[in-house]
Amino acid sequence: MGRYIVRRLLQMFLVLFVVSLLTFATMRAVPGGPFSTEKNLPPRALAQLEAKYNLDEPLYMQYLHYMGDIAIPRLTENRLPPSVLNDYLINIYIPGIDKTLRWMNFGPSYKSVSQTVNSIIKNTLPVSATLGTGALIVAVFIGIPAGIIAALKRNTRWDYAAMSVAIIGVSVPVIISGPILRYVFGVQLKWLPPTGWGSFEHMIMPAFALGFAESARLARLTRASLLQVLNEDYIRTARAKGLHERIVIGVHALKNAMIPVVTTLGPLFAFLATGSFVAELIFGIPGMGKFFVVSITNRDYPVIMGTTLLLATFVILANLFVDLVYVWLDPRIQYS
Amino acid sequence: MTGKFARFVSLTLVLVLVLSFAASTITAQEGKKVLIDANALGASDVPTLDPSLATDTSSIQVLIETNPGLTRTNEITLVTEPGMATWEVSEDGLVYTFSILPEVPWVKYNPETDAVEQVLDADGNPRYVTAEDFAFGIRRSIGGQLGSYYGGIMAGWVLNGKEVYDGTKPVEELGVKALDTYTLEITATRPAAFLPSIFGMWQAYAQPAWVIEEAGDLWTEPQYFQGYGPYTLKDWVHGESVTLIKNPFWPGTDTIPVATIDEVRLMILDQSASLANFEAGTADISQVPLADLDRIRADATLSEALYIGPSGCTYIYGINTAKPPVDDVRVRRALSMTVNRQALIDNVLKGGQTPAYFFSREDILAAAPKAADYPQYAITEDVEAAKALLQEYLDERGITLEQMEPITLMHNESEGHARIAQAIQQMWAENLGINVTIQTQEWGTYLETIKNNESAPQVFRYGWCLDYTDTHNFLYDVFHSSVRELGISWSDENAQRFDQLVEQAMSETDLQKRTDLYAEAEYLLTNASAAVIPIYFYTSLNMTQPWVTRTYSHFGQQYYEKWDIDMAAKP
Repeated sequence: MGRYIVRRLLQMFLVLFVVSLLTFATMRAVPGGPFSTEKNLPPRALAQLEAKYNLDEPLYMQYLHYMGDIAIPRLTENRLPPSVLNDYLINIYIPGIDKTLRWMNFGPSYKSVSQTVNSIIKNTLPVSATLGTGALIVAVFIGIPAGIIAALKRNTRWDYAAMSVAIIGVSVPVIISGPILRYVFGVQLKWLPPTGWGSFEHMIMPAFALGFAESARLARLTRASLLQVLNEDYIRTARAKGLHERIVIGVHALKNAMIPVVTTLGPLFAFLATGSFVAELIFGIPGMGKFFVVSITNRDYPVIMGTTLLLATFVILANLFVDLVYVWLDPRIQYS
Repeated sequence: MTGKFARFVSLTLVLVLVLSFAASTITAQEGKKVLIDANALGASDVPTLDPSLATDTSSIQVLIETNPGLTRTNEITLVTEPGMATWEVSEDGLVYTFSILPEVPWVKYNPETDAVEQVLDADGNPRYVTAEDFAFGIRRSIGGQLGSYYGGIMAGWVLNGKEVYDGTKPVEELGVKALDTYTLEITATRPAAFLPSIFGMWQAYAQPAWVIEEAGDLWTEPQYFQGYGPYTLKDWVHGESVTLIKNPFWPGTDTIPVATIDEVRLMILDQSASLANFEAGTADISQVPLADLDRIRADATLSEALYIGPSGCTYIYGINTAKPPVDDVRVRRALSMTVNRQALIDNVLKGGQTPAYFFSREDILAAAPKAADYPQYAITEDVEAAKALLQEYLDERGITLEQMEPITLMHNESEGHARIAQAIQQMWAENLGINVTIQTQEWGTYLETIKNNESAPQVFRYGWCLDYTDTHNFLYDVFHSSVRELGISWSDENAQRFDQLVEQAMSETDLQKRTDLYAEAEYLLTNASAAVIPIYFYTSLNMTQPWVTRTYSHFGQQYYEKWDIDMAAKP
């Protein structure tokens, strides 16, 4: 198992390398640059900005420079001049030689002049991850029970009710449900602050709006999967043994039926935790999604790269976690 | 005393204590005037608070309050007034001597004491804003090799500025000198009526050299930031808000009074989110989403709060005069003459905009000609005349309308631009029988396309917002051939004459003569050559709660020190 995890983590670096290469190539192939505006930037100013951010080098050098700043640790003085150009994520003081080992500089933001990719992520990832976790909890706590009820009470009023709600959830995206929630609970009833971040109350509406849409998907998946499992031979065997129905469902059927559900939960969490642009805009949340999307319009290359790599890392790790959960859910699955 | 009664008394006492404590905290809260403005910044983070690098309205909004310039534009009359200094100008109009307000301290917000404190130097004396601080700011913008856009604008106006900007002369040779602690001398390259306005712009604000040296490009973060204006920076939560706090050390002047409101929270919110806060009472000022405009107008309370006033921008269609069939002026004029601007405003835009027949904003710029005052110069909407022009062109080429080259109209992706383009497409189809094809591009790509004579399509959408309140900023800075980047390929005799006119107007001191010169230049641009189709002058829309007393600025920024808020009236 340990070797399996190590192997997967090594694979991760390969995948991230490919992602970085593809992202770099795509974003540089798109016309327009980070400093173009409707005003006429003097050529001298453009040259100065390009020199500051190494954009005057040949493309492959820019890529090597960028990857080098991230991947290669370097020994530096203990106090670096404060600058957006030398913000390292990892700084380890080495007492013997009185130097500092630094690693992972994801570069400055071109648009938010006093910010670096590291500082943007440090500020916004906790916000997005908190909201994403909240949304995931909402999705799981509504979606899975609804799916179970629908499957067990198949073709009854319960099933129809649960699945109708699911269809509403799937077909009403956050861009619709968000403003409605905000208007009803924020503007009319004044139970919750319409926008903002910082307290539990601020989180309720966006987490619900995001979670509800996802819960619908989970409910449908849970229902389908559980129905399939309930027809398996070993369920019949369990019942024939005279086991209590609650144990048949709870222990034997449900655990197995969760495999496809868990498979989707992994990437779902990765996407929720790295920010939802729409929800952040509607509820005025200072999360990562906004920086992610705006960076593309602005051609803010380091922010595009940094956020993409972070999302990729999250997806890979979440999938690894899911694969490990499989072992517990289905004893037949083993990694060696 | 029975047990029950005793319990009642003690409970009452506790209640009274709690209530009185609560009341005292409420009065403390009420004593502080806090304004929440969800209109000033828009939906994305403030890009920078570095005066040398600021280019956008939200960065400048913060800086105009924390670091006022030498001069200050009155937000209503748009007259250039004294800001941090009064000035005198030499007879030849070249040497400006600014007398700076003495003993205005640099200040900084201290989160530990929750107070604004004076900045002390190494000897423990307060640091005052000096002529040298302003000189430092100007030198840094022009000669700091920072890629400063507005440093480049200013470079053209300060002696040796261009050379210093391009690195061919050392920064010491720049025509900016601190004569003594509070006297600054700026030598201009040539006289111009609007120089005081340029010298009051943000790239010329005083900057704290000692902070920049210590903190590098992080100096604009709240933990380092220092200012001196009526407000200073309290907090900047990236992507969420910027909070300004009243500077108790600001002495107050006729043009920049001491602030009444203690704290101004500028929220970073999308349009509809800002309106939701306004309706919930959690914002005092809000943006106005176009989609909600009809609802707001129909609502008794909301319509009272709605304000529509001028803004600093013009909406135009540029024409690439090198591409057939719009390489012929008759086709271009026909297109411009068949845009029904008022109908567009009434049916599509709905925000109280004004039709534009000239490019320069006639309502807010110094020396801007009004189309109504120059009927002989302004293009007129005349469908019959336009049809005749088009027919004449077709006859001359011996082709039919169907044989004419197809026309592409391009705009950057946006629902608003799309609606305008569709309406104009329909007007041209109905009035001239010309069916233009609409194309859209994403913003970054679009800019690349329209800034090049080769790639710019026949007709394309463009907007321009003022940097300073003079017509020079519209006609010279956008269309003079030496600085023009817009792909309109305009180079006929009219274009050469246009260059001469705007050059002449630059140094003309008589206001009427300047206005006449600009009127003729507008005529060449928008009528005789019809290289652009002026469409409308933007308006600024916002909502203000009844408990706020305010001024409505006619350009992009607000002066909060002139506002007041009645906290008691707030529900």
